[in-house]
Amino acid sequence: MYKVTSKLKIVAFALMILGAVLTAVGFWQMPGSEEEVKEMLATEAAAHGGGHGAMEDNHSSAADDHAVSGHATSSDHHSEGHATNHEDEHAEHVYHQLSNKPWAAVYVAAFFFFMIGLGTLAFHAVQKAAQAGWSPVLFRVMEGISSYILPGGIIMFVLLLLSGFHINHLFVWMEEGIDVVGHENYDAIVAGKVGYLNVPFWLFRAGAFLVGWNLYRWNIRKFGLKQDEAKDGDIAWYKKGFKHSAMFLVFFIVTESIMSWDWIMSFDPHWFSTLFGWYVFASMFVSGITTIALITIFLKSKGYLEFVNDSHIHDLAKFMFGVSIFWTYLWFSQFMLIWYSNMPEEVTYFVTRIEDYNILFFGMVAINFLFPLLILMNSDFKRVNWFVVTAGLFIILGHYLDIYVMVMPATVGESWFIGFPEIGAFLFFAGLFILYVFNTISKAPLLAKGDPYLGESKHFHY
Amino acid sequence: MSTKIIHAFYTDDDVLLSAVKQVREKRYHIEEVFTPFPVHGLEKAMGIADTRLAINAFLYGIVGLCVATAMMNYIMIEDWPQDIGGKPSFSYLENMPAFVPIMFELTVFFAAHLMVITFYMRSRLWPFKKAENPDVRTTDDHFLMEVDAHGADIDEATKFLYDTGAVEIKLIDKEEH
Amino acid sequence: MAHYEASIRRPLVTGDKTYSDVTRDIVAPVEGVANKQWWIVFTIALIAFLYGLGCITYTISTGIGVWGLNKTIGWAWDITNFVWWVGIGHAGTLISAVLLLFRQKWRMAINRSAEAMTIFSVIQAGLFPIIHMGRPWLAYWVLPIPNQFGSLWVNFNSPLLWDVFAISTYLSVSLVFWWTGLLPDFAMIRDRAITPFNKKIYGILSFGWSGRAKDWQRFEEVSLVLAGLATPLVLSVHTIVSFDFATSVIPGWHTTIFPPYFVAGAIFSGFAMVNTLLIIMRKVVSLENYITIQHIELMNIVIMITGSIVGVAYITELFVAWYSGVEYEQYAFLNRATGPYWWAYWAMMTCNVFSPQFMWFKKLRTSIMFSFAISIVVNIGMWFERFVIIVTSLHRDYLPSSWTMFSPTFVDIGIFIGTIGFFFVLFLLYSRTFPVIAQAEVKSILKTSGSKYKKLRENKMTSNAAGASSGDPIAHPNE
Repeated sequence: MYKVTSKLKIVAFALMILGAVLTAVGFWQMPGSEEEVKEMLATEAAAHGGGHGAMEDNHSSAADDHAVSGHATSSDHHSEGHATNHEDEHAEHVYHQLSNKPWAAVYVAAFFFFMIGLGTLAFHAVQKAAQAGWSPVLFRVMEGISSYILPGGIIMFVLLLLSGFHINHLFVWMEEGIDVVGHENYDAIVAGKVGYLNVPFWLFRAGAFLVGWNLYRWNIRKFGLKQDEAKDGDIAWYKKGFKHSAMFLVFFIVTESIMSWDWIMSFDPHWFSTLFGWYVFASMFVSGITTIALITIFLKSKGYLEFVNDSHIHDLAKFMFGVSIFWTYLWFSQFMLIWYSNMPEEVTYFVTRIEDYNILFFGMVAINFLFPLLILMNSDFKRVNWFVVTAGLFIILGHYLDIYVMVMPATVGESWFIGFPEIGAFLFFAGLFILYVFNTISKAPLLAKGDPYLGESKHFHY
Repeated sequence: MSTKIIHAFYTDDDVLLSAVKQVREKRYHIEEVFTPFPVHGLEKAMGIADTRLAINAFLYGIVGLCVATAMMNYIMIEDWPQDIGGKPSFSYLENMPAFVPIMFELTVFFAAHLMVITFYMRSRLWPFKKAENPDVRTTDDHFLMEVDAHGADIDEATKFLYDTGAVEIKLIDKEEH
Repeated sequence: MAHYEASIRRPLVTGDKTYSDVTRDIVAPVEGVANKQWWIVFTIALIAFLYGLGCITYTISTGIGVWGLNKTIGWAWDITNFVWWVGIGHAGTLISAVLLLFRQKWRMAINRSAEAMTIFSVIQAGLFPIIHMGRPWLAYWVLPIPNQFGSLWVNFNSPLLWDVFAISTYLSVSLVFWWTGLLPDFAMIRDRAITPFNKKIYGILSFGWSGRAKDWQRFEEVSLVLAGLATPLVLSVHTIVSFDFATSVIPGWHTTIFPPYFVAGAIFSGFAMVNTLLIIMRKVVSLENYITIQHIELMNIVIMITGSIVGVAYITELFVAWYSGVEYEQYAFLNRATGPYWWAYWAMMTCNVFSPQFMWFKKLRTSIMFSFAISIVVNIGMWFERFVIIVTSLHRDYLPSSWTMFSPTFVDIGIFIGTIGFFFVLFLLYSRTFPVIAQAEVKSILKTSGSKYKKLRENKMTSNAAGASSGDPIAHPNE
């Protein structure tokens, strides 16, 4: 049995407190009114001299692009009134973006850690359904990580509720009057989608999916523990787990896609991509697998998991490597097709990212592709914990940034920078994640001794 | 000058594996082992160095990537730039999404084919090459260990090899070339 | 414990086979003579092939006008057949490479035939673009070679050129992967051959393979690296085929899910074709102990999974077409499901999404007849999928005055039938002359997964052999 050390607890609490304070600072920094933003912009312009002018240039070129394309990105409320009253429009615009900033930061971090839990759950289900022989020694670690989808899911649901009740304005399609012809917020394209994009149905879907995923998670944990107590040769609980895993994967493949459209793609309600759900899936899968590897290596370094050998780490590293390449493949497929066709309704998505998020957008591709590729290509390196951890940390960082550039352009736009709330929210959820996950791991023996494939897993040697 | 070689036959891979270990402990020199299928752990037991074919493949892949890049850069950007689909060919980097598929394909093409050719050359495999396994049963179900008997007591060696589980032993005079 | 395997795993080689049994069983069809059924099937395939050859000759001598193509629908059966055959060609590399990386031992029994199928079907696929050129003797113009027209190069921005590179890389890499794996098995046939002719032929084919420890070490490394290269390669090939459509701005073609969904569809149809072929072959050449019901069941499960993935992709496309708010997209999908080609759409849906769901039932997926039927149904469905994507998207042009329908001529049909004939001619010849199972690899898993050794282990008898063979009488050394 693993016991959470007080040192780990202190670290986790420290992360949470520090994170909460930084996030609070972020909310406190939120501008109170448009006037404040105007003042801020004025001082900025004075301080930077020509800086503001350059920024405007940048800005107007982006607006031109939108004009050519015939659409404004969701965050650009102002393109029509661009020429007249520019100062005020701009200030209002920046005000909205800055008010979204801490909320979006919390949203990104909350989703990221939730996604790690969900990705691990999916990996666990795949292992069960595929009757894999190598992985049963890692099941308890996986169960520990996936347990986070309970608190993480509740937090996500609360965040969605807050958006639904207009406490924040992250989702543009929730604006008042968006589907009312003649209303100042009227948007013909979004109006065509209200049958699907409306708050009650959207919340209902989120709730149903969260319940479904948690139900499976709760069951598979229970079955695993019951199987440990079962008599020799009695594998009824294992069989039950197998069936549930297969059913879960069917449920998951559908709900995961819808969840990605609902929770992320709808930030840009004009934009659509059929691949989006699978792309998010690749991101969550690789983050989950990486976290399994990191926590396994951590526990092993503390003297636990003595039955886990080099070959298990090697296999996890292979998955990190393989799924990273798969992720890149999906990223490229989505990007290249939209780039190549250059259709206005689609390409705006990448235009904003390339113009306003250039370094982050291409940087995260480099991190998520090149680092795992180069660090983990060599077979021997996959057995060296130090290499796996390095690659793992890059993958975690890279996929956080991936989610960041999915969410931010539509909510914060060009007013982004990684400041207190972004770092704070990340630390807070990291602390919560560590605390909850290790607490679950400490609740059960680290070896799923009843699993019929355990023998293979223990003797696994590659 | 002629040397004597002992051919010891085995019919089980696990026996063979333990025999190889024993023979090496006894300081006999194993010339070669012929097996009908890959025996897991045999090359380690025999002390054969790791193969570097994978590293070769990696290097060949880099060559392929460079060839692809150089070729497309020359053809599409330098020699005859065109404006295709509203994307003028001013720079390789800006048009790279369109070039990635072939960069990938040629990387794989070079890595795979050159590695296989290297393998065939190193292991001396090509059409009309004569097979060199001393006994035809080694492609069926027999495992053959060639032990250098030069300067060793043949009777003792034979007895020892039978003890390791050999089912048949032959003494071969081999002409040194 | 080197050969340990969980006791709940069923044996992959039944019938208590020893190493030499494996040799004998696999070499039997090569050394024996063909039976009557083989000759009947071969004759039918040959006739179909010759008929197709006639249609190809007619097309080339007269012109592409003999096909049913028209001004609006410039691509129809040719490209449908091309994509269909390339797709079928995917299971081979998948079974070989991906399952090797995942250490799935059940691949050993089927990888050889699946790879053969890959090569033969990619050959069929390659025929279509070449015939469609109209002047196939100029096919080398697709290569980036200097020429007398000055700086006239091929266009590297074109997905069709990507196809040239992708398909030729795929075909050639699959070929060397297949051949490298064949060397030890050819060597086995060579060493057993009695007639000098056979000895000579298999001697040449085996490249002088001798089975040294070092050769095996390199062989395994090469297999692994080739598998690592072939896995992204197999993905890239169908991805690039999907780019042929998806880079365009035609409603129903331009959608980002195409790459992974084409790959899933390709694996789906490829496994169905492997099932079709192997269910027949295991019977004809008596290899039921190697290609067991369990193998068929596992392939059925892959068919079920990929079929469901394809189904999710269909529904995603349909939903996002509505969600996009783009009226052209919305119309394209409405037209698919309810327009004049509704029957093709629903044939595709029924065959590809509904029929594999039967495989959830163990009784059905372990039934040989049912698996065979479904494998045929799936291949019909996947042909319709490509037809639906290609023809329904084209036949409703942006300009309503160009709206039209497509009907194939006897030449279109003839060439398609011809490729099926050609494919079976190649496969039937292969099944009589090649070792249809990777015997060396089967031998390497025999102790882990063979029924004989599994029983030995379960009876607590050590298969550890020092004991097993020490009791045997030992021949004297023949000095």
